[in-house]
Amino acid sequence: MINNNIDYFSKKYYKLDFLILWLNKGDGKSRGHRSNKKINIDDRKQENVENMDENSLIVQQFQAYAAELDDKHDRFERIVKIGRDINIESKRIIFLLHTIDKKSKQESVLYEANLRLQKVAQHQFKAIAFELKNQDPYLYLKGYRNGLEEYIEAVTFYQYLKCGNMENWLELEKTLTYTFPEKSKTIQILITPFEYILGIADLTGELMRQCINNLALGDRASCYQTCNFVRNIYKGFLGCASVSNREIHRKLSTLKQSLHKIESVCYTIKVRGSEIPKHLLVDVATEEYADSDEGYQAY
Amino acid sequence: MAVRISEIFNSFQDYLNNEEELREEIRAIVRNLEKSARDILMILQNIHNENNMEENIIVSQYCVTSRELFIDVRKNYAKLAEVVPQDQYYRFHEQWRFVTQKLCFLASLIIYLEIKVLVTKETVAEILGVKNNREDGFHLDLEDYLMGLLQLSAELSRFAINSVTNGDYNRPIEIARFVNDLNAGFRLLNLKNDSLRKRFDGLKYAVKKVEEVVYDLSIRGLKPSPDSFTEKGE
Repeated sequence: MINNNIDYFSKKYYKLDFLILWLNKGDGKSRGHRSNKKINIDDRKQENVENMDENSLIVQQFQAYAAELDDKHDRFERIVKIGRDINIESKRIIFLLHTIDKKSKQESVLYEANLRLQKVAQHQFKAIAFELKNQDPYLYLKGYRNGLEEYIEAVTFYQYLKCGNMENWLELEKTLTYTFPEKSKTIQILITPFEYILGIADLTGELMRQCINNLALGDRASCYQTCNFVRNIYKGFLGCASVSNREIHRKLSTLKQSLHKIESVCYTIKVRGSEIPKHLLVDVATEEYADSDEGYQAY
Repeated sequence: MAVRISEIFNSFQDYLNNEEELREEIRAIVRNLEKSARDILMILQNIHNENNMEENIIVSQYCVTSRELFIDVRKNYAKLAEVVPQDQYYRFHEQWRFVTQKLCFLASLIIYLEIKVLVTKETVAEILGVKNNREDGFHLDLEDYLMGLLQLSAELSRFAINSVTNGDYNRPIEIARFVNDLNAGFRLLNLKNDSLRKRFDGLKYAVKKVEEVVYDLSIRGLKPSPDSFTEKGE
C-alpha cells in the first residue's frame, strides 16, 4: 500500500526513503536493508563524482555543438535584419517611382530611383553576400527572401518604367555579384528563379496602381501598354500553373484581379473616353472595385 | 516585349521541370532509406523482449544484424550525395531530414547498447556514410543529429522500464546516468523556438521516468549491490 503511494513522489522526496526502509524492515521480502540504507547515501555521492568525469567528455562535445548552433542562429538573425532593411528601402523606392506624374519629372525620378537601387545593392546585399561567404545560401535564403522579392519588384518596376520591359534574373544576379579582395573570390547573391517570378507577380499589383494613376493623369496610351504587359505576364503564369505550389497559386489569383482592373480601365477609356472629362474618368473606371479592394487608391 | 517575357517564363518552366525531376530522384532514394530505417527499428525493438537477460544477445545478435543493414543505408546516402548538386544540400534538405533523424537515433542506440557511451556526431556520420563537415560535401546536419539523440532518450526510458520487468536491475541505473548526462549536455545549447526545442522539452520526461524507475528500485532494496559500480568509478 505505502509503496504504491510512494510511486507518485519524485526523487526530491528521497528523505522518505528512510521512512519506507524503516517500515519495510519487518518485511521478509526486502533484502539487506540495513546495509542498503547507508550505502544508498554514499552511492549517491559516488554517482555524482562519476557524473562529473563522464560529463566533461559530453560537455566538451556539446560545447562544440552549441558554438556551431549559435553561429548559425546569429548569422541567420543578422541576415534577417539586413533583409528587413532591404524590404523597407525597396518599398520606398517603389513609392518614389509612383510619384512620376509628368514627363519632365520622369527623368529625375528614375535617376534617383536607380541611384537608390544601386545603393541597396552596394550596401545591404553586399553585407548579405559577406555573411554567406563559405555558407550554403539555401540555408539562409529564408532570412532574406522577403527583402529580395521586394527588391526584385522595385528593380523590375524601374526597368518597366525606364524601357517598358524587364530583364531576366540572370541579369539581376550579375549586378548582385561581389568580389572580396582578400580571397579574390566572387560571391553571388542567390536568386532562385522562384523568387524572381514571385517578385514579378507582386510587380503586377504596382502596375495596376500605376495604370490607374496614369488614367487619372490622362495618359491613355500607357494604360494600354501596361495592360498588354500584364496580360503577357499572366499568360506566362498560366504556363507554370501546373506547379503545385501554394505561393504561386495565391499570387496568381491576385494577379488575375489586377489584370481585371486594368482591363476594365482600358474598357472605360474606349467606351466612355470621349464623353466624360478625363479627370472624372478614373472614378468611373474604378467604381466597380471601390469596395472590394485592399488599400488601393487612385491618387 | 512579349518575346522577352515569354523567354523569362520559358526558362522558369525549365527550371521548375529540372527541379521536379531532381526531387523525384531524391524521393526514390529516400524511400529506400526509409525502408532500411524501418527494418533496423524492427530488429532493435527486440531489446524490449523478455529473454534478453544475456547482455551479449543484444550486442551479438541485434546490433550486428542492424549494422549489416546499415551497409545499405551507406549505399543509399552515397547515391543521394551524387544526385544532390554541390552547395544545394539545404535546397532539398526537407526531403531527407526526417529519415536522417531516425537513422541518427538508430545509430546512437546501437552504439549505446554496444559500449554504453554517447555517440559523437562524427561517428554517426561515419555509420551513415556521410561527411561530418559541411565543407566536405554531403554531410550530417547538426540539428538532425541532435534530434536523433532526443529520440534515443525516449527509447531508453522505455528500455529502462522493460529491463526492470525482465529482471535486469542494473540497466536502469546505467540508463539514468546516461540520460542525465545527455540532459546536461543539451542544457548547454541555446535553442531557438523550433522543433528541436520542442523535442528537447520532452527530454525531461524521459529523465523523470528513468529516475522514477531507479527510485522504485532503490526504495525496495532491489538496486544491485554497489560493488559493480565502485569498480567502474575507480
